[in-house]
Amino acid sequence: MTWLKLVEGYMPMQMITELAVCILFFSICNYLLKKAGIGVPKFWAGILVWCFVNLFYLKYRIYPPIPFSVRAIYGTVSACGIFMWVSGSQEEWLEFKRPIINVLDGNNFFTKSIRTVLLLLLPIGLGAFAYNSLLPSFEEPIELRTVHPAPPATTKVHGKTYVLQTAQQPYRIDTDGKYDPAYSNAHIVDQSMGRLMKDVNSAEDNPWDPNAKGYIKHVREGGEIFFQNCHFCHGDNLNGRGLWAFAFNPIPANFTDAGTIAQLQETFVFWRVAKGGIGLPGEGFPWASVMPPWEQHLTVDEIWKVIMFEYWHTGYYPRTWD
Amino acid sequence: MGRLFTPMTRGKKKFFALTALFVAGVFLTLPIILSVTALAGGGGGSAGGPPPEVLEQRKAAAAAAAEAGESVEGEENKIETGRDVYYKTEGPAIGMPAPVTADNETFYPRYNFESRVLLWVANQQHLYYGSFVLAVPIFCMCIEFAGMVSKDKAMAKKYDQLAYDFIKISLTAYSLTAVLGGILIFTFLTLYPAFFGYLSGIFRPVMHIYALTFVAESATLYIYYYGWDKMREGVMKWVHLSMCVILNVIGTVLMFLANSWIAFMMSPAGVDEQGRYLGNIWHVLHTALWNPLNVHRILGNMAFGGGVVAAYAAYRFLSSKTDEERAHYDWMGYIAMSLGVAFLIPLPFAGYWLMREVYAYRQQMGITLMGGLLAWLFIIQATMIGILFLTTNYYLWQALGRMTGGERFQKYIKYLVFILVVGLLVFITPHTIVMSPAELKAMGGQQHPVLGNYGVMSAKNGGINAIIMTTILSFIWYQRGNKVPTVSWSKFGNIFMGCFFVIAQLNNIWLACYGYFIPANVRIGLSVPQVAGTLSCLLLMTPLNLAMLKGGRELGPIKWGQIPPRSQYAIIMLATAFTWMMGLMGYIRSSVRLFWHVNEVMRDNSPWAYTHTIGFAANVISFNVLFFWISIMFVFWLGTLGAKKVPVKGPVTDAIPGGAAAQPAAGH
Repeated sequence: MTWLKLVEGYMPMQMITELAVCILFFSICNYLLKKAGIGVPKFWAGILVWCFVNLFYLKYRIYPPIPFSVRAIYGTVSACGIFMWVSGSQEEWLEFKRPIINVLDGNNFFTKSIRTVLLLLLPIGLGAFAYNSLLPSFEEPIELRTVHPAPPATTKVHGKTYVLQTAQQPYRIDTDGKYDPAYSNAHIVDQSMGRLMKDVNSAEDNPWDPNAKGYIKHVREGGEIFFQNCHFCHGDNLNGRGLWAFAFNPIPANFTDAGTIAQLQETFVFWRVAKGGIGLPGEGFPWASVMPPWEQHLTVDEIWKVIMFEYWHTGYYPRTWD
Repeated sequence: MGRLFTPMTRGKKKFFALTALFVAGVFLTLPIILSVTALAGGGGGSAGGPPPEVLEQRKAAAAAAAEAGESVEGEENKIETGRDVYYKTEGPAIGMPAPVTADNETFYPRYNFESRVLLWVANQQHLYYGSFVLAVPIFCMCIEFAGMVSKDKAMAKKYDQLAYDFIKISLTAYSLTAVLGGILIFTFLTLYPAFFGYLSGIFRPVMHIYALTFVAESATLYIYYYGWDKMREGVMKWVHLSMCVILNVIGTVLMFLANSWIAFMMSPAGVDEQGRYLGNIWHVLHTALWNPLNVHRILGNMAFGGGVVAAYAAYRFLSSKTDEERAHYDWMGYIAMSLGVAFLIPLPFAGYWLMREVYAYRQQMGITLMGGLLAWLFIIQATMIGILFLTTNYYLWQALGRMTGGERFQKYIKYLVFILVVGLLVFITPHTIVMSPAELKAMGGQQHPVLGNYGVMSAKNGGINAIIMTTILSFIWYQRGNKVPTVSWSKFGNIFMGCFFVIAQLNNIWLACYGYFIPANVRIGLSVPQVAGTLSCLLLMTPLNLAMLKGGRELGPIKWGQIPPRSQYAIIMLATAFTWMMGLMGYIRSSVRLFWHVNEVMRDNSPWAYTHTIGFAANVISFNVLFFWISIMFVFWLGTLGAKKVPVKGPVTDAIPGGAAAQPAAGH
C-alpha cells in the first residue's frame, strides 16, 4: 500500500489516527447494517476487526515491515482488547457466544458438519504445528541485540580517563568561551530536513559565516570531520543511509531517529565513537557493528566536535539530567 | 469475683482507655524513639570495629585533622579519613573495608546448586509475605474506620466483620513472614557469609533497631487482634483503631529500615571507596534511592495486598454454595480490589520517580535497566502493568452489570477499549526489537521509523497516562452505575466533567508528541503536566462526581453476588499479575547491580555473578509466584478452619452486601 504515504515526522500519530478512523468506519457500517436488520454478529465482527488490524493493516500498510515479535505482541493485545469488547456486558457476551453454542449444541446437518470438520482439522492443525516446530530451520536465529547497551562508568581515551556521568562536552560553549548548553541548544537547526538552513544568516547561527566563533565555529569543524570520515556510512543527512550503508547488516545508526542520539548523553556518544563496534559489551553484539574505534584515527577534540555537529545537524539535544 | 470491681462510669472508662492507649503507644513506639536517639548519636561502628569510646576519640581526632588539613597520627592509633562515595564528605574511616572475595568455599560456601537462586527464592517469599502483612493492617484500619463512622448499623457491622476477616488472614501470614525471614537470614549466613558480615557490620545499629521494631509490631498486632471483642464499643473501639494506627506506623518504619539495606546495595553512601564506614549512620540510611524505594514499596505493597485479599474473596465467591455467601464475597472482593487499585493508580508515578533517580544516580544503571541488558524485562513489566489496568477496567465494567441502570454505560465500553488498547500498544512497544537478521535488513536499521517512536519515554508517558485516565473514567461510571445526579447544577457538572476529561486526554497526547521536539531534560519535565492532568482527573473529578451523586436518585439496588464469574477470574488474574510483576521487578532491581554485591564498593566474585537469561529468570519468577500462591492458599484454608457455621438463608438482592454474613460479626 505505497500509494498512501506515511508522512515523515508524523508517522506514529498517523498510524493511530488511521486505525481509529478505520474502527470508526466499521462501527458506523455495522450501525447502519443493524438499522437495516442485517447487522454483523458480534462473533464475526470481533474476528473481522482482529484480522483487519493484524493480518492486513499492520502487515501490509505499515512499511518497512514490522518484525514478527512485535506483531505477535500487537496481535495478542488486540485479541485481549476484542475479548474485553465482546464480553463487556453479559448481553454482548451471550451474543458473541451464540454461534459457538449453536454449533456445539445444534443437531442439524449443517452444525454436525461443522463439528466434524473441526474435529478433523484440530488434530491435523496441531500435527502440522508440531511438525513445523520440529522441522530443521535454515533461518538465521533471532537476535536480542541491545542497541544502546549500558556504558562503563569511565572510559580511557588517548591516555585520559573520562567519567561518563560527569564529563562535559568542551566545545559546547558560548561566544565568551563558557560552557553553556542552553546557548548551544538555542542555536541548533530546525529538525525538519526541508527547512535545514532556514533563518541561518547570522554569525551566531551560520557555521559558514567567516565571523562564526565559539559553539557554531566548532560545529563547522565537526562537520568537516564528519564529511571526511563518517558520512560514507551514516549518510549526508545523518540518517544512516550512506554510500556504504547497505553493505552492512545492521545498517549504520540513523541519527535523525528519535531513538538514537536524541536519548543519549553526549558522553555516551563519546564512548561509542571512541571505542567503536569492537568496544561494545557482549549484549551489544560487538561482532555485529563495523564502526571502527575512532580513537585510533581522531583526536579527543575531533571526536567531541563531530558529536556536536551530529546534534546540531539533526536538531536534537543531548540528554541531560539536571 | 465480679463484685470486686464496681462498674465504671463512662467518663472513667474513657480516662482509663486513653491512659492505656498512651502507655501502650509509648511502649510500642519505644524502639523507634530509641532508634532516633541512637541515630542522632551517630549509631555504631562497623562489625569488628573498635569500641564506641575509641570511635569518639577517633572522630574528634579526625575532625581536628580535617580542620588542620592533615591526617593525625596518635601514639597508638593512626587515624585515617575517607571520602564518602556519594555525599563526598570527609569522615573517619572507622569501619573495616569491604572484603575482597574470591570464588572459593571460604567466601561462598555452597551446595551443589546455585546459591543465588536459593537466596532469590528465600528473599522473594519473605518479601511476598512481608508486603502482605504490612498492607493488610492498613486496609483493616481504613475498613474499621469506615465501619465506625458509618451511620448505618448493619453496614457498620459488616465493615467491622470484614476488617476482622482481613486481619485474621494476615495473622497466620505474619507467622509465616517471620519464619521466612529466619530462613532468609540463615541462607545469607550460610551461603554469603562475607557479604552478610560486611552488610550487618555497616548496619549493626539499624539491624538491632529493626529486630526491636519487629517485636513491637508483633505485640501491637496481637493486642489488636485478640482485643477485637474486648474493645468493640464506645471509646474502647477508638482505642482499638488507634492500635491499628500504631501498628501501621511501626510496620512502615520496619519496611523503611529494610529498604535502606537494598538501597545501600544499589547506591551506597556513608562509606568510602574501600567500603569503610565513615561514622555517619544517617548517610548510610539516606542513600540516593532510599526515599524513591520507600514510596514505591509502600504503594506496591498496598496494591499487592489488595490484590491478594481480592483473590481470596474471588476464590470464595466461585466456591460459594449460597447467594448470601456470593453476595458477601462479591462485596469483599470489591472493597479489596478498590483499595488495591487506589494504590495502583499512583504506583506508575512513583516508579517513574524511582527510575528518574536511578538515572540521575548512574546513567549506566538507568540504561542497563531501561535501554540495555534488562530492557526486555521492562517490556514484560510494562505488559504486566497494562494487564493490571485492563483487568481493573474489565472488572468495573462487569460490576456495572449488577446495578440497575449500569447498562447505560456499557454501550460505550468499546470506545474505552480502543483507548486502552492503543495506550497499551504504545506503552509496550519495545525500543530494542527482537528480530532475525533478515527482518533487520528488511526494516533497514535497528529502529523502525514508525514504531521506533513508541519505544521512547515521551510516547510511553502518553500511553500510560491515557490508560490511567480511562481507568478513572471507568471508576466514575461505576460510581454512577445505579444513580442519577439530581443536584440543580448536574447538567453543568456533566459538561464540565466531560470537557475536563477530554482536555486532560488531549493535553496528554499533545505533550507526548511535543516531547520529541524539545531537549531531554525539558521532556522529562513534561511528565509533570501529564501526571498533573491524570491526577487532576482522579482528585478533582472523583469527588466532584460524588458531590453530584449526593442525594441522587437511585435506579435500583446493587445486586451483590449477581456478577458474572468472569469478573472473579479477572480479579484472580489481577492478583497473579501483581505477584508476577513484583517478582519480576524485584529481580530487575537486584540484578541491575550486575557483578556487585554493593554497587562499585564490594564486588561479587561468586561463580553466579552473571545475568541470567530472560527465560531462566522468568521461570524462577513463575516458580516463586506458584509457591506463594500455593502457600497462601494453605493460609486461607487455615483461616476457614476457625470459621463458625452459619445457617443458610434465602437469596439476597439487597443493598446490604451479603445480607446475613457468611460469618457472624460477633463472638470472634
